[in-house]
Amino acid sequence: MAGYDTAGQIQDTYVSARDEFGEGPAFWIRYFSPSPAADIFSDNAVAECEGAWASGGHYVGPVSAPYQSNLSGSTAQGQADAQTYAASMLSAYYAVGPLVLPSSKRLYCWLDQEYSTSLSLDYLDGWAGYIANYNFAGLGTYPLYPCLYCDPGSPYPNCSTMAAARGLNVPAAVWSSEPEPCGSLKNAPSSGAEHCATVPTRLWQFGEQDACGYSANVDLDVGTPGFFTPSFCFNVRSDP
Amino acid sequence: MNHSRRCKEVTFVRSLQRTAAAAQGGLASRALIVSRREMLAGGIGAGALIALPDLSTPGARPAASAGSGSRYVLLYGTPESRPFPGGSVAAALSPVTNSRTLPAPKSVAAKLAAAPVSSPDQSSVALITVDKVPAGAKVTLTLVDSTSAVVEKQGSLTITGIPDGTNILPTPVFAPGTATIAVVLAITEPGDKRLVSKKNPHTGAPAPMHAVTWTSHHALAYFDSRSGGFAGPFHLGNAPALALTTAAANGSDLFLWTTEEPRPHHPGKGRPRPAPLPWVSAFPLGSGRARVSVPSPAPWPGGEPAVTLATADVARLVNGRTMQVSSALTGDVTQVTIGALNVIRAKPSAVTMQSRPDGTVFITKPGIGRAVIADPAEEFRVRAELRFPVPAVPLGAPASKAVLSPSGGTLYVLGGAKAGGLSAYDVATGALTASYSHGTTYSGLYQLPSGTLLAVSAANPRLAFFSPALSLLGTADTSLQISAVF
Repeated sequence: MAGYDTAGQIQDTYVSARDEFGEGPAFWIRYFSPSPAADIFSDNAVAECEGAWASGGHYVGPVSAPYQSNLSGSTAQGQADAQTYAASMLSAYYAVGPLVLPSSKRLYCWLDQEYSTSLSLDYLDGWAGYIANYNFAGLGTYPLYPCLYCDPGSPYPNCSTMAAARGLNVPAAVWSSEPEPCGSLKNAPSSGAEHCATVPTRLWQFGEQDACGYSANVDLDVGTPGFFTPSFCFNVRSDP
Repeated sequence: MNHSRRCKEVTFVRSLQRTAAAAQGGLASRALIVSRREMLAGGIGAGALIALPDLSTPGARPAASAGSGSRYVLLYGTPESRPFPGGSVAAALSPVTNSRTLPAPKSVAAKLAAAPVSSPDQSSVALITVDKVPAGAKVTLTLVDSTSAVVEKQGSLTITGIPDGTNILPTPVFAPGTATIAVVLAITEPGDKRLVSKKNPHTGAPAPMHAVTWTSHHALAYFDSRSGGFAGPFHLGNAPALALTTAAANGSDLFLWTTEEPRPHHPGKGRPRPAPLPWVSAFPLGSGRARVSVPSPAPWPGGEPAVTLATADVARLVNGRTMQVSSALTGDVTQVTIGALNVIRAKPSAVTMQSRPDGTVFITKPGIGRAVIADPAEEFRVRAELRFPVPAVPLGAPASKAVLSPSGGTLYVLGGAKAGGLSAYDVATGALTASYSHGTTYSGLYQLPSGTLLAVSAANPRLAFFSPALSLLGTADTSLQISAVF
């Protein structure tokens, strides 16, 4: 069950991806604010959901890629980035009638930490604490779970920072960017994602556009064994 | 917040200030009396004390001015060992001559409240700390001379009437051509503390959790870099707002993008409604009352580059390709997409933007392998477009991966993902003119005012200094994982 992540808008991307890979994805991972250099899902949420529905992959997981130096910053910086992220997800949820929370009641919210970015414990505490504590839509179910996209083998602090976190500030899952065997939707690798010592890897970016030579503006991702990624994503349950 | 540790850091700042004052008064030799224990104890004083041998030379300046090659650089990032505190700064000395043995950078500060900000002419860097005090929170701005790494000025203000646990995110904004540094304060207060139930992420079983509702508003303050005094804080009364903002200033106004925080009116979805738009407001410098306030197109503010143009208009670059310009007169926003940057990829790219003395702006987007010089006077027509191989880490910190020589004639950029190293391109022709590659992949590139290039990498030696001809001048180790250089 492989899917895509992209910094472009789904409605502008899915046709070329289908042409290249021959079928629709199981899910999409899309960027929410703050992601200063990406197209933001909540800025055009209805059209994005229409694209997701048309693509056949009507599950959308959220990722935020803040200005990367922020991740070396303070608790206040982490909290501010998380506040905007949660608000961006809430805005999309309010803007699209058929966009609903996952049936598992656990929405995995990914923070993008790139290879050369250092994650400070202060920032993680502020960021993860806000996400875990967010009373999404006033539902009282606290469905947001902080998670980290990273390269576990990077020499920059990522796994070690998570190992120092405590309680609800410990991310629920890692989305590993390595290794990168490439492949396609039909022949995604089944195992081999890098992992951290204290937080399980649940999602694996096994094919990156530039490294794998994909022409469509997508990276390819797959859940690790036993993890059904769509169950932890927004669900577009009908054509918006 | 570790109160005792913060106080210690502030003490070091003041110690350094005294040292600098003594040196300026012709008492440099007296400053050398400071014991080695004090020099190495950490804190902002330790870093600047490295400059003292230069001060002791009769007739010498604290450090060489731009053009002679030697100056300090401030490194911002995270120590490589636990507990990985955020907002740490170290000072490193750049070499004057080839193969000079470089001293290791020294710790300057830890737990800064926000990333440092450099003045438009790169002569100063503003550092901000926030300390808990009985009356509330004390915000201290320290202005550091980026050539000598000594404190130029320092001032504090206290935010009162805030509950325990309040987080304050300060953003200093230099107003070009003035002595004013505006400080945007995002103040986020906890409330409605309660015990709730949340599913365990691994088992799905419910578990008790202490929950808090956070509410943000903004305040403005103005630092006078001549007197060290603060005006403000002026609370904007805009709660609930998102803490993240984007700000830039011209000689008369602070331009501030803010967003109302969307909040549930009742549990559940309700009728579909669009996301709120950000607003841009112009505040006369020194004032907490907006002169104009107008809606801005999306996206919400938060990390996108913003500059002040030669016309005094303020521009922010959004989505990595679209320039939004707020009129200096009315605040009204117009936008134009720069065609050369309108390339979408699966992964976003770091994006940087700088104003140039001739009125143009220099923009880099390494994730698509491009840098442009665009002219705001002609709707951001691209005057020069440079193409280069995409570097190995086009999004990770530091954001600076391509720089323009002071003359504008040469573009220096990190080498492509396969080759690594550095490359130089002629801006007029786009031709590759020089390269350096010994197998090292760098993650960031800066050009110091002297013309010296500084490349940053993951493992020691993390600092590599190069001449403008891409000759290696020297290297230095540091225990700081570098996120930005000032």
